[in-house]
Amino acid sequence: MADSFPTQVTVQSVAASAPVVTPVDVASIQVAAPVIAPKQEPVTVTITLPTNAYFLSGIRDFTLEMTKNMTGFNEQWAYRFQSVVDELCNNAIEHGSAPGQEIRIIFTSTPHESLEIVVEDSGTGPNKYTAQQLRDLLVKQKEAVQSQFLGLRGRGLAQIVSEWTDELIFEDRPEGGIRVRVKKYLSQGDGSASPASLNSANVFKAV
Amino acid sequence: MTYANITIEDLVSTQPGRVIKIAKISGQLDESNVDDQSKTIYDVLTANPQNLHLIFDFSELEYLNSKAIGYLTDWYGKVSATAGKISIAQAKENIVDILNVVGLTQLITCHATLDEAKAAMMA
Repeated sequence: MADSFPTQVTVQSVAASAPVVTPVDVASIQVAAPVIAPKQEPVTVTITLPTNAYFLSGIRDFTLEMTKNMTGFNEQWAYRFQSVVDELCNNAIEHGSAPGQEIRIIFTSTPHESLEIVVEDSGTGPNKYTAQQLRDLLVKQKEAVQSQFLGLRGRGLAQIVSEWTDELIFEDRPEGGIRVRVKKYLSQGDGSASPASLNSANVFKAV
Repeated sequence: MTYANITIEDLVSTQPGRVIKIAKISGQLDESNVDDQSKTIYDVLTANPQNLHLIFDFSELEYLNSKAIGYLTDWYGKVSATAGKISIAQAKENIVDILNVVGLTQLITCHATLDEAKAAMMA
């Protein structure tokens, strides 16, 4: 990671409600009630980066630690999201935002439910795609993958991002540029930590 | 630029005309370095246009992006077309996972150990 990391990071979180404690007559308890962890509210982290691939190793490190510490996904998925974020950012840097501009990455973790990742570019890059053109391109790349005609490029969206997310949405930003929104829902077998071990404070240390 | 390094080691082949090399890749192959790093492998391919048997030692490879996978596919195609062979040894779980999702493990054999990869190339 770079010595100085000129990024902006903002974190918005809504603290989980404290469990309501009601006095109980211990002698009256006959069967232990199941312990249900309080539902954790979504936490959103926004990172703004200069348009330069130099900073992506830092974003990969952040993605790995954040996923491990505050989403409920296991380590395998932490590495997978690392690749998903890297591929989306590469596309935004290569096509969407000109040098000197910025890209924005927004993580929204709903612990033990889902992780949403949004990557936005400014639309000032060399290739001005619309959301519809990107949808069409994705269809072509998927066809190329199936027919083994893919060259050096095209695996990022068509295979890595598509295979490792449940939703992949392209949107035109009103102010210009593209917003790519991906979401993965936690399924049985994808999780790792118990709810009690999830602590959104951990990710602040990782930043 | 993200750290990555490629070293090339020669192995003595018992098969006449067969060139066996180990390409050990360390660090992370990403958008910031993969074009530069790939030149080392293309140089090896150019210098050994026939019967090249190339083992990629991924024991110290931490990350590779889709472009690096594209290069790997290109090297596989070029080497296979000239009576050569490519294999991978000691890849970490996250690396095997990404090679799996793009289908590359169906083309290139992944060996758990370097000795296993060497033995397969010597045979």
